[in-house]
Amino acid sequence: MKVEAIEYGDRRVFTVSSFNRGIGDWLSRLPTVWVEGEVTELRRQARWQSVFLTLKDPTDGACLGVTMARGQFDALRLELVNGERVHVFGRPELFEARGDFRLRALSIERFGLGDHLAALERLKRKLAAEGLFAPERKRALPRLPRRIGLVTGNDAAAKRDVLTAITSRFPPARILVAETYVQGPRAATAIAEALREICEAPEIEVVVLARGGGSFEDLLPFSDERLVRALAACPVPIVSAVGHEQDTPLSDLVADARASTPTAAARLVVPDLAELTARLERSRTALGRGTRGALDRERRRLDLARDHLRRAPLLLLERRRAALEHSAGRLRALSPRATLERGYAIVRAAGEIVRSSSQLASGTSVDVELGTGGFGARVEETR
Amino acid sequence: MSEPTFEEAQRELEGIVQRLESGEASLDEAITLWERGEELYRLCSTKLDSAQGRIEELARRVEAVKP
Repeated sequence: MKVEAIEYGDRRVFTVSSFNRGIGDWLSRLPTVWVEGEVTELRRQARWQSVFLTLKDPTDGACLGVTMARGQFDALRLELVNGERVHVFGRPELFEARGDFRLRALSIERFGLGDHLAALERLKRKLAAEGLFAPERKRALPRLPRRIGLVTGNDAAAKRDVLTAITSRFPPARILVAETYVQGPRAATAIAEALREICEAPEIEVVVLARGGGSFEDLLPFSDERLVRALAACPVPIVSAVGHEQDTPLSDLVADARASTPTAAARLVVPDLAELTARLERSRTALGRGTRGALDRERRRLDLARDHLRRAPLLLLERRRAALEHSAGRLRALSPRATLERGYAIVRAAGEIVRSSSQLASGTSVDVELGTGGFGARVEETR
Repeated sequence: MSEPTFEEAQRELEGIVQRLESGEASLDEAITLWERGEELYRLCSTKLDSAQGRIEELARRVEAVKP
């Protein structure tokens, strides 16, 4: 149909109907494409010609209305539910009566395992490139958290296992549990929401995200971009205890620590009370010993000083005696005795040492001292 | 000074023990360290003794629709 404008002077004006028709014509010339998104607001009623749903971009929430002929939709037997990820093959279309733009679906395919794997790998590379898994982003876990948050599925086993592991290691632990869906298309947002709520609770210093083992699809919510980003943005350190050892959901990579078993998770978030108490007691014992050691050292130094003090007069005496002996030795070395030993003699007359023959006359009595002994003599002549 | 956390207190206590065991502390310092150490020990013990194990459920709005 031709799109005609009404002329008002030099202004060309379109009616709503012709405008919509024009846009609709233009849109219908665009090619058919595949669009990926999450199914939300799925509306199907037996008396309706078409099935309506909204396709949502999980990363930023952008929406696209989709319609499909009900017969075609039913023939696919997809049993779609809200939250599922799909590929829709279709072309853009304008519902002219309302001016609504939408995608007219010709086919819908559920995201398969291979698609999930490929998408997961792509997402992993993208988030890694953003640095979300970088080791330097990892925060240290508190050694003794005042309160522990536990985000877990409403399946009893995983919750009980983690609680038992924590409380048996550290009985005084305080734990706040948030149960949530951990499986199915709504799980990722539900977990992220539970996480946000638990982090707002007072005194929470670490959060354990726990889920038992499951199939690849079961663990998919833990690799959902929204949850991974929520974990990265979480103000509290996170321990990811999801699945078993061989599973590596992205939550494990973005978390501050990962644990492959409930026991490992408990080891990460609480200390061993028995060990802690023993260590504290050891410290106290060492404290007493150390202080006694310092006291003993001071006491020994004091005793030593006292000993020195007591020995001081004796030492002085000994030193003086030694000095005296030394002098005596030197004195002896200087005495004429040694000279006499070599054959010299001392001659005395009337008690005076005779140094010159002029002191003597014939007949004078002299006393001669030798090296050994001596004798009296009379002078015969002088020279 | 605000009260230290258990970890801070334990770390300080172990630091004090190390200082005392090194034998470098003077008598006056040793006495001061000992007094501080005993205080920290009491603090840690009290914290452990007073910690009451408690498991609570986060009160959440029950969602009507299950997936």
